[in-house]
Amino acid sequence: MFWNNIKIALRNLKKNKLYATINVVGLALGLALYVFASLLADYERTHDMFFRNADRIYTVGTSVLPEANLGIRDIDSAHTALAPLIKAEIADIQLVARSLRREYLVRVDQESFYERVRFVDPEFTEIFDFKFVSGDPSALQDPSSVIISEAFSQKYFGDSDPIGKVVTLDNKHDFHIAAVIEDVPLNSHFNSAILNASVLDIFISFQALSRISDYNPEGEWDNLSVNDLTYVQLPPQLDGDWLQAQATSLFDRHMPEAGKDVFSGFKVRPLKKANLVIWEMLGLPVMTIIKLLGLLVLIVACVNYTNLATAQALGRSREVGMRKTMGASQRQLLTQFLVESITITAIAMLVALAGLEVIIQLFNNATNKILTLSYMSTLPWLVMTTLIVGVSAGAYPAWLITRASPIDALRDVARKTKKGTRFRAVMIGVQFAISVFMLSVVAIMYVQNQKMEDASYVFPRSEIYTLQRLNVEGISERLDTLQTELKNIPGVENVAYSIWTPFDQSNSSTNVSTVPGDSSNKVSLHILRISPEFFDTYDIPLLSGSAPTREMANDMYSEESESINVVVNELALEQLSLGPAHEAINKRFYDLDEDDNLKEFVIKGVVPSQNIVGLHNDIHPFMFYYDPTNHWVASIRIRGNMLSTVASIEKVWKDVIPEYPMQGRFLDETFEEVFKIFRAMNMTLAGFAGLALILALIGLFGLAAFMAAQRTKEIGVRKVLGAGSMQIARLLVWQFTKPVLWALLVALPLAYFASAAYLTFFAERIGSSQAAVIMLGAGVFGVLFAWGTVAGHAIRIAQRNPIQALRYE
Amino acid sequence: MLKLHDLYKVYRTDDVETVALSGVNLEINQGDFIAVMGPSGCGKSTLLNIIGMLDSPSDGSYCFLDEDVAGYGEAQLSVIRKKNIGFIFQSFNLIDELTVAENIELALLYHDMPAAERTRRVKDVMDRIGIAHRAGHMPGQLSGGQQQRVAVARAIVGDQPLILADEPTGNLDSVHGQEVMDMLRTLHSEGTTIVMVTHSPAHADYAQRTVNLFDGYVVTENTRAA
Repeated sequence: MFWNNIKIALRNLKKNKLYATINVVGLALGLALYVFASLLADYERTHDMFFRNADRIYTVGTSVLPEANLGIRDIDSAHTALAPLIKAEIADIQLVARSLRREYLVRVDQESFYERVRFVDPEFTEIFDFKFVSGDPSALQDPSSVIISEAFSQKYFGDSDPIGKVVTLDNKHDFHIAAVIEDVPLNSHFNSAILNASVLDIFISFQALSRISDYNPEGEWDNLSVNDLTYVQLPPQLDGDWLQAQATSLFDRHMPEAGKDVFSGFKVRPLKKANLVIWEMLGLPVMTIIKLLGLLVLIVACVNYTNLATAQALGRSREVGMRKTMGASQRQLLTQFLVESITITAIAMLVALAGLEVIIQLFNNATNKILTLSYMSTLPWLVMTTLIVGVSAGAYPAWLITRASPIDALRDVARKTKKGTRFRAVMIGVQFAISVFMLSVVAIMYVQNQKMEDASYVFPRSEIYTLQRLNVEGISERLDTLQTELKNIPGVENVAYSIWTPFDQSNSSTNVSTVPGDSSNKVSLHILRISPEFFDTYDIPLLSGSAPTREMANDMYSEESESINVVVNELALEQLSLGPAHEAINKRFYDLDEDDNLKEFVIKGVVPSQNIVGLHNDIHPFMFYYDPTNHWVASIRIRGNMLSTVASIEKVWKDVIPEYPMQGRFLDETFEEVFKIFRAMNMTLAGFAGLALILALIGLFGLAAFMAAQRTKEIGVRKVLGAGSMQIARLLVWQFTKPVLWALLVALPLAYFASAAYLTFFAERIGSSQAAVIMLGAGVFGVLFAWGTVAGHAIRIAQRNPIQALRYE
Repeated sequence: MLKLHDLYKVYRTDDVETVALSGVNLEINQGDFIAVMGPSGCGKSTLLNIIGMLDSPSDGSYCFLDEDVAGYGEAQLSVIRKKNIGFIFQSFNLIDELTVAENIELALLYHDMPAAERTRRVKDVMDRIGIAHRAGHMPGQLSGGQQQRVAVARAIVGDQPLILADEPTGNLDSVHGQEVMDMLRTLHSEGTTIVMVTHSPAHADYAQRTVNLFDGYVVTENTRAA
């Protein structure tokens, strides 16, 4: 019986090639996307599992107070002072390690590159069981030795043995290579975390950092860098909740008051979450969304199948009648139809898997991932998916066709009474609701992202070339010469220094008040340390007053400064209640933090409130002052040919600072960093939405073809009675229009709420009326596509000779 | 074998009520060959469908092998049907996706019969009806006469004691019609009970008894002298 059912299924496929193709291709697309989305989500969620103690390793990050307005809810790094405290105060924890990532110029013989070097506590190699090719973990005990990866070894030494060779950081700190580890697999947060990824190529004892940069080995509470991670390995009997409680207690007891103004506590996460931490930080459950989108597309594909199968099943009414006459029970017939639907799903699954083999390969090549489709481990899931999809897609048509009495089935009553018509209409509605919902959200995301990008052009981002990493001994003392020489290059309009550039996503702030020591009226002001040319270079207009100069002593910060002239933005004026821009000049406010000599700020100029940190953040109250001790980045404004000017800049750099390679990048690239995540999300969703729409249209086309065939006789009679081709076409198109319009009514409000959730993420949002127009546009787009799909077929049918139509039956 | 007493069948659609059978009384004994005649729409096919348990009466009683089946549900009827009744339709009702042999086997498929036994029986009946050489063909590749032979083979392969034939020659030319009637006569001579609806007086002559229907009533019953 079972084989008989499968045989029938295959013969039916062969007989109705168009519908079979639509069914199999549709289901295969849906299944491929669903399986891919699930594999990807699982892959991303199971990083680092190859470390022996992965399930006992945790990271300790820091939660941010919403009032701090940093644009993120938490950070995966912790203050470097935390780890020594954990070790000292919590006896049950033996293994704690910090990893501080710093960029250095790494030189081996005559070859040098900028590399990200990790400085780690000795427990680092106990927590992570790296595979040592040569040397051993004890190498970390010696502050003058480094451990490198095989890839690093290959890059600098080729096939020769690197052990004992010397590596020099920033041209002056020598280390010898004591061990080589195998490259950490790609599915580790060390390699693939979006925010913090840097291949674990070279790491050195934490002690060494103290030696080369006066870093306090006990760590610090003043600075929290995304590059500073804290790992803890717990003994088997303790868990993350316990660690969280300990961390909270440490926070309460040790976090300085200034820190408590910004942070709400430490946040413990299992190691396997380290890879996806950026989404948690942003508050966007991206992997869950991807899985959900995969499921939605699969539902659209299933609905396609159900719809077409329902229409087709009615054509098999006589067969059902005959089988019932022969004694088949409804259960047996249900089984037969479900086996057919499972067979088709299984074929679609095979097609999907074949497609996935190619897609995964392409995806891995494009994204540097090692996603695999392991049949051994996923087989039960794949089989279950096939069965569930097969049964759920085939259940309704099977039930509809097998419930008729034998005589009704033999007489084909179901078809004559248009059974299942309403169901099909509802299903078309569901498909289009999902498609239009996704399209609308994509459109809104796109317009919002575009708004964010457009707004960033307030800065002349495409005319600025930046030089990074200037805060290095050997470079910083030559910046004046560099600036003078750069300005002499034809095409260079201006050169400004600053601690970071707009959209760098950096944050530095201090608490100030208009009354000295009065913390009841404190305002948290963000600080950007600049050189006098900054405003001109970035086209930031001064609303009143003037920019700092090199000539006035009080314009320039030094470690001894107790008072300094600053430029503030209008928002800072507003929050400090210092009146309008033209009245603010020479007004004063005072620093409440007691970490340096600086006590007083005098307003010298006012600039408009612009979004400097990055556009998903709110616009912050800002102050700018000239600080020659913190020139980390040069911004070079170029007019004319960028490429030839950059070549001249390189030449100047080589003349002025020959010992260090130049690290330059276009400011556009910095801005792109900000946008690429949002663009990638938008593209991903667009891909899902596009596929959902294509599937819905394919389904609609199949159904339109089928319904037109069903109504062939009616069409013939109508034509004989005088109906024109357009009238017939309209008749055929209209039957699909109603459910599509209903779909809009359901989808658009849902899309509105979903988009609102996305929009809340941004400080500057598109207006709700604009959002409504965009969504309506997406809806109209969906309807037009639906019409187009059905109309082409309908017109062809309507133009046929009426006698052909009448002969059909 | 079966007994219909005061049997009614009424079809209702929204406002219209159509009486298809009106107080029919009929008794059919084991080994009978009965022809049911009458003009179009007089209730012949309805009567046959009720006898075949494809449809249920609206009122009255229907005793089949001493069991009143009038109030039975589809599941119970299906069990009785598959054991006892074979069907031949005017429009053959062969399944286009199945071969000749598979169409015949269909009648055994729901009988919990081992596959080998099914294959043997199908082969036997095809030999008997003379369509063995067409075993692997699809219905669409056969002539009308051949298709009806397959339908006859399907009706008899299960050895059911009662064959119901609804205008079995209606779609056939006279030669093929004759062939089918000869087959039915042979079956009858072998002991099978046959109830046949027909428009053709000549074919009705093959039966022992003719029941004439008009507007749902049995108007006459003629028994042919042996």
